[in-house]
Amino acid sequence: MAIRVNPGFIDVLDKFGRENIQLCYQCGDCSAVCPHADEFYKFPRKPIRQLQMGLEKKIETTLEPWLCYYCGDCSDLCPRNADPGATMMILRRYLSSVYDWTGLSRKFYTSYKWELGAITIIGLMITLLFSVFNPNGIVTSLTPEGGVKVNEMFPVETVNTGAHIMLITIAGFLISNIIRMWYFTILKDKTLKISFSSYVIQFRQLIIHFATQVRFSKCKDKKYWGFHWILMSGYTLMFILIVGNLKWFQTDKIYLWYHPQRLLGYYSTFGLLLGLVYFFYGRIKKADQIFKLSHLSDWIFIVLLLFTTVSGILLHIFRIEGMPVATYYTYIIHMAVLVPMLCVEVPFSKWSHLAYRPFAIYFSELKKSALSIRNREKLFLKHN
Amino acid sequence: MRTGIFFCQTEDDRNLNIDAIAKYSANLPDVEVVQVFGPGQRPEITIICDLVHSNNLDRIVIAGEMPGYFKPVFTRAMAICKGNTDEVRIASFQEHGAKGENAIDRAKAVVACASMGVPFPLVAISGGNPVNHSTLILGGGIAGIQSALEIANAGKAVYLVEQSGTIGGHMAMFDKTFPTLDCAACILTPKMVSIGQHEMIHLFTRSKIESVSGIPGAYHVKVRQRARFVDVKSCVACNQCTEVCPVKVKSEFDAGISLRKAIYIPFPQAVPNAYLVDETKCSYLLSKGEKCGVCMKKCPKECINLNETDHIIDLEVGNIILATGYDLLDVSGIDQYGYGKFPNVLTSIEFERLTNASGTTGGKIVTKTRQINKKTGEEEWIFSPDGLAPKSVAIIHCVGSRNKKYNSYCSRVCCMYSLKFAHLIKEKIPDVNVYEFYIDMRAFGKGYEEFADRIREEGTYVIRGHSALVAMHNGHMIVRGEDIINDRLTEFEVELVVLAVGLIPSHDTKELSKMLDISVDADGWFSELNYNGSPTDTEKGGIYVAGMCQGPKDIPDTVAQGSAVAAGVLGSITSKKGIGHLSSIPLSEIEKRAKTIHTI
Repeated sequence: MAIRVNPGFIDVLDKFGRENIQLCYQCGDCSAVCPHADEFYKFPRKPIRQLQMGLEKKIETTLEPWLCYYCGDCSDLCPRNADPGATMMILRRYLSSVYDWTGLSRKFYTSYKWELGAITIIGLMITLLFSVFNPNGIVTSLTPEGGVKVNEMFPVETVNTGAHIMLITIAGFLISNIIRMWYFTILKDKTLKISFSSYVIQFRQLIIHFATQVRFSKCKDKKYWGFHWILMSGYTLMFILIVGNLKWFQTDKIYLWYHPQRLLGYYSTFGLLLGLVYFFYGRIKKADQIFKLSHLSDWIFIVLLLFTTVSGILLHIFRIEGMPVATYYTYIIHMAVLVPMLCVEVPFSKWSHLAYRPFAIYFSELKKSALSIRNREKLFLKHN
Repeated sequence: MRTGIFFCQTEDDRNLNIDAIAKYSANLPDVEVVQVFGPGQRPEITIICDLVHSNNLDRIVIAGEMPGYFKPVFTRAMAICKGNTDEVRIASFQEHGAKGENAIDRAKAVVACASMGVPFPLVAISGGNPVNHSTLILGGGIAGIQSALEIANAGKAVYLVEQSGTIGGHMAMFDKTFPTLDCAACILTPKMVSIGQHEMIHLFTRSKIESVSGIPGAYHVKVRQRARFVDVKSCVACNQCTEVCPVKVKSEFDAGISLRKAIYIPFPQAVPNAYLVDETKCSYLLSKGEKCGVCMKKCPKECINLNETDHIIDLEVGNIILATGYDLLDVSGIDQYGYGKFPNVLTSIEFERLTNASGTTGGKIVTKTRQINKKTGEEEWIFSPDGLAPKSVAIIHCVGSRNKKYNSYCSRVCCMYSLKFAHLIKEKIPDVNVYEFYIDMRAFGKGYEEFADRIREEGTYVIRGHSALVAMHNGHMIVRGEDIINDRLTEFEVELVVLAVGLIPSHDTKELSKMLDISVDADGWFSELNYNGSPTDTEKGGIYVAGMCQGPKDIPDTVAQGSAVAAGVLGSITSKKGIGHLSSIPLSEIEKRAKTIHTI
């Protein structure tokens, strides 16, 4: 099959934050030092070569960038200062935009006006929704324990319904994008025959890597994995508590501190804060390779998450301390940051890696098993 | 002629004050337009056309560091305006050496000459100074030896100043030369002997120049010759002093892989063929005559004088040739290859000495053996003739070369000597596996590509892919890399690793450049006047560069430059025109001369 070359492809990546890809002279140091590269997936050198040659269609089907966690070993070693790690990061952004059929992802990654605009508009809509269409307004009376009656101010049923609508929308986009990812990376490759049983067998990879990101720990410096995992676990737990179980989580009754509702909430807040402080510190100080280049999308996602976390903490304090007015406004601010963050970031921007990465590992394992079967067959034919 | 002057700058230009030069050039005769384009600003063809049209220009001068880069645009503009494209002239500051103290004046003169259509060298270089017939050569490597012999054979006196105790330089350390696999010593040693015996050559070993003054054609040079402590004339190299000397240190000539004494001869074929004392190690000298001194007592010819002092020699010379050569990059800082950590990781020069028949193992290629030092009780790894031959050897190219963290330039010789190593290993050890890890194979010279093919045919695994690291796994050395052509990641277990180490300018290049007032380039090599046109001249009259000190090059090129320099020196002596000096003429004089030629 002839491969079509797009000589201008490298310029397309400019908008995604292209670094010095053309500096690379193909020495292979990066692939040799990468703890994730193996006999099937040799990166970063190979995708960089494909980029230099303008093999757009080939890049679309590649899974390698998702297998990279950007520890920066390759960039440290690179004799040309071509920063292969950053190139992998850029490719991840580009691939997210390829998988996304709405075209919004490309807009959000390449134009800060679009990304900030979308966040602002959704934020304003949420503010409007909560302040104008709120039937009860500020309820000043307190519960017997002295807490604020949040559920009377913002009826949990209504908010929960809204959350479910949002969840379905986000999930719809995300799942359709993942299906496209599957189409590009697995289905398009006609040479591979992947059996149904292998889909089932390898499914555990998806679960394991979503829950633990254990591959990240293969990088030389394990602390990145530790902090990333703490942040991720806090985030996921909070997501489940809020979007899935709001009725259980948002109560007027103030439980004692050891109640699971509060303990789980405290854990995820702690995880979020610890992770955020670490990532903020790193991105500002830029001492490690992993933090040296921060794209706008990287900043937006931690800034929004920080706002959400801080407003969530304040909300909790105000509610327990019985400060209805403060609770009321903080709740609206909390929502006005949280909702756009989830709507924009999860399916279309930085947060989507939460889904793409475990799926990429799942798909890569599928491909690997198919490839090793093929190699074995070849070997068998050769010997007989 | 109505002239327009355009200043064009590239982004990495040095900081010449372009505005001052522009102001000056506006007052030159017939200059109608002066336009300055800032760094990185591209001259637009439409703007140039407009200016040519509106001012009715007949001549365009493009001035700048490297204005040739912009010439196509101006030529096209001139053609569009139906002007004479031959009148697009270049005023290159870099080419005519506008740098250093009077850079601005030089640049102005370059622009003035171009605007009047007069070639700059025609008016700016003039003969004049009478030339002293003797020549000083700094550096006794193959470049210095070659030019010394050429000049001396023409009957002119040569002072050859060498820092170490013998001439020969790096080439004397080599085993074979590529691509012909001739024995290096067989080419070099006869030349060394002729140097020692030549009546026109005065050899100063263990010497350094202290100061240089005077003008081109008549330099006064002060040379400090460190005490040798052994009388060269009466020493017969009987080796008895070395036998009794109690001090053992690493041998420089053997690149540190063997030991020598504090009184020693660098190698048996050394010229002058006499012993010398290392004053930094000798216990007699270090203790100011209180300890030891056994060699003095032992010497049958009584030629050792440990109380000798340094000599200062004043020389009057007409020309100076720099042939100071190179050093090797210190690879202990590149920790990915484990040099200094793993015993069997060698630099290229160490391997060169190991495989050399005059080396510590007699040319046997072996891995290091462990032994306990009897004095200190520490374990150490040494090369011994009884060592085991390696079963597999990795040779890694481009260590520190073509690498933005160390040397961004290509060292030019490593590909070929690495291939030569592969051949030598294959020749000496049957059934050995040799892996060559390369990024790009630079086999550029006559017979080099064929040599590379030959090595491949001999069964060396020549792998496209720079290996990233050398690691130790269960006591075995592993070289990890990517085999790009065969599309696989490789891990080879090897017993010996040879690093093709990059070359850097000799450590005293900076000091010399200051002393002689000539410049070095960004990488630290001596700058030649013009890379293509006059590769061995410097901006200063009567000072020449030959061999590696001007930039990495192989032996054939070095020898060629050595001879080329001799031609320049002899020309200046015999032409009776004297030596011209670019910066010796003031700006006003250049202007006056240019105007005279211009009006003719």
